[in-house]
Amino acid sequence: MRVRRKVWLRQFLLQGCWNYEGMQNLGFAYSILPALRDRYEGRPEEFSRALKRHLEYFNTNPAMATVILGATIRLEESVAEGKADPRAVGTFKVGLMGSLGAIGDSYFWGALKPMASAAGAILAFVHPLLGIVTLLALYNISHLALRFQGFAAGMGGEESAVRFLKEAGISRRTEDRKMIAAILSGAYAGVVSSQAAHMFGGAWLELGVFLIAVFAVHLFTVLFRKAVSPSEVLFLLLIMGVLILWQ
Amino acid sequence: MWRFLLVAAFGGICYLDRTAAFQVMLHRPLVVASVVGAIFGNLAAGAQVGAVLELLYIVRLPVGASVPPDDTGAAVFGGAAAATASSSIGLDPGNFAAILLLSVLCAEIGKVADRFVRRMNGRIAHLTVDLLEKGDSLAVEHGMRAGITLFGVIGVVLTLLFSGLGVSMARFLLTRFGPESHIQFAAMLPAIPLLGAASVFSCSRTDRTSPVFYLTMGCVFAAMFFFRWLV
Repeated sequence: MRVRRKVWLRQFLLQGCWNYEGMQNLGFAYSILPALRDRYEGRPEEFSRALKRHLEYFNTNPAMATVILGATIRLEESVAEGKADPRAVGTFKVGLMGSLGAIGDSYFWGALKPMASAAGAILAFVHPLLGIVTLLALYNISHLALRFQGFAAGMGGEESAVRFLKEAGISRRTEDRKMIAAILSGAYAGVVSSQAAHMFGGAWLELGVFLIAVFAVHLFTVLFRKAVSPSEVLFLLLIMGVLILWQ
Repeated sequence: MWRFLLVAAFGGICYLDRTAAFQVMLHRPLVVASVVGAIFGNLAAGAQVGAVLELLYIVRLPVGASVPPDDTGAAVFGGAAAATASSSIGLDPGNFAAILLLSVLCAEIGKVADRFVRRMNGRIAHLTVDLLEKGDSLAVEHGMRAGITLFGVIGVVLTLLFSGLGVSMARFLLTRFGPESHIQFAAMLPAIPLLGAASVFSCSRTDRTSPVFYLTMGCVFAAMFFFRWLV
C-alpha cells in the first residue's frame, strides 16, 4: 500500500523531465521506481534491467498514463515472479500509449479544458474569483477522478484496465463537453459582439456589427483550420495597431 | 521589490504546473493574470485581461512534440501591466487592447524558452542513462530533480522578465500615447475576444456543435439587444 501511494504521488511528475527524444521516459521510470525497488529487492541486476526497460521512449496523455502505469506494475510483478516475458512490458506500453494518448488528448485538451476555460472566462465577468473557482473545479473534478480511477483500474490488471476504458465512456464525455464548450463560446461571442455593437450605437448599425462579428469568428475558424496560429493573427492586429498610432 | 519576489515564487509554481508537475490548471491565464494583478494592486484588472487571454491560445493543443505559445507568460505580462496601468493612467479600451496585443510577444518568447528547456532535458536524460549504466541506482531520481529544477528556474526567470516588462510598459510606454490614439486603438479590441471564442469553437467544432455555436451567439446577442431596448 505504501509503495502504491508513492507511485501514485510520483505520477504527477510524469513530465518532470520531458524531452524531445524519450519524451516522458524519465518520468515514467521515476514513477514506477518504488514498485521496481520493492519487487526486485536484493536482485540488483534484474532491478537495473527492469529500470532500463522503462527508460525507452514513452509518450501519452499525462492524465491517462495512470492506466498504463498501474497495469505495468502488475505486469512487472509477473515478470519478477518469472510468469511473464520481460519483452511483454514494452509491447504492452507501446500498444496502449498511442490510443490512450489520442483518447486523452481529445478529451482533456480538446473538450474538457475549452469547456472549463470558457465557463471560467464568462463567470470572471461576474466576479474574478467565481471564474477561477469554476475553471479549476470543472477541470480538476474530472481530471483527478480519471487519474485515480485509471490507476486503480490499471492496478487490477490488463483486463481491468481495458474494462475501465470501455466503461468510463470517454468518447461520450468528449462529445458532451464539446457541445457545452460550443454553447459557452457562442454565448461569449454573443456578449462580445453585443458590447461592440453598443459601442458603435444605432439599431441597424448594431445588426451590421453582429454580422461582421459572425464573419470574423468564421474567418478565424477557417484560419485555424489552415494551421494559422492565434499568435500570427495577433501579430497582424499588433502591426495594424502600430500603424494606426503612427499616423 | 517584495511584489516581484512574490510574483516570481508564484510564477515558478505556475510554470511547473504547466508541464512538469500536477497540471491542475494553476497555470491558466485567468488564474495567473488575476493573482499577478492582485499582487500588483488590482485583482479585477488582472482578471479582465486573464479572461480574454484564457481562450486565445486554447486551439493550440500540447500534443506530442508540439509546444503551444506560452499563455502563462502572456498572462504574467498582462496581469502586471493591467494592474499597474489601472492605478496610474487608467485601463481604458485602448490600453486594454495594447496590453493584450503586446502580450503575444511574451507568449512567443516563452515558447522559445520552453523548447530550450526540453532540449536541455534531452541531455539530462542521456546523462541519466549513462549514469545508470555505470551502476548509479539513484540516477533516475537525480535526473528528475534536475529536469524539474530547470523547468522551475526558467519559470521564475520568465516571470520576473515578463512582470518587469508589464510594469515598465504600463508606466512608460502607454503614457506616451495620447487619448485620441487610444480611441483608434480601441476599435480593434472586439476582434481579440472574438479570436478567443473562435479558438474554443475550433476545438469543439463538429457537425453537431457548429449550428449550436452560431445559434447561441445569435440568441445571446438578440437577448442583450432586447434587454437594452427595454431598459
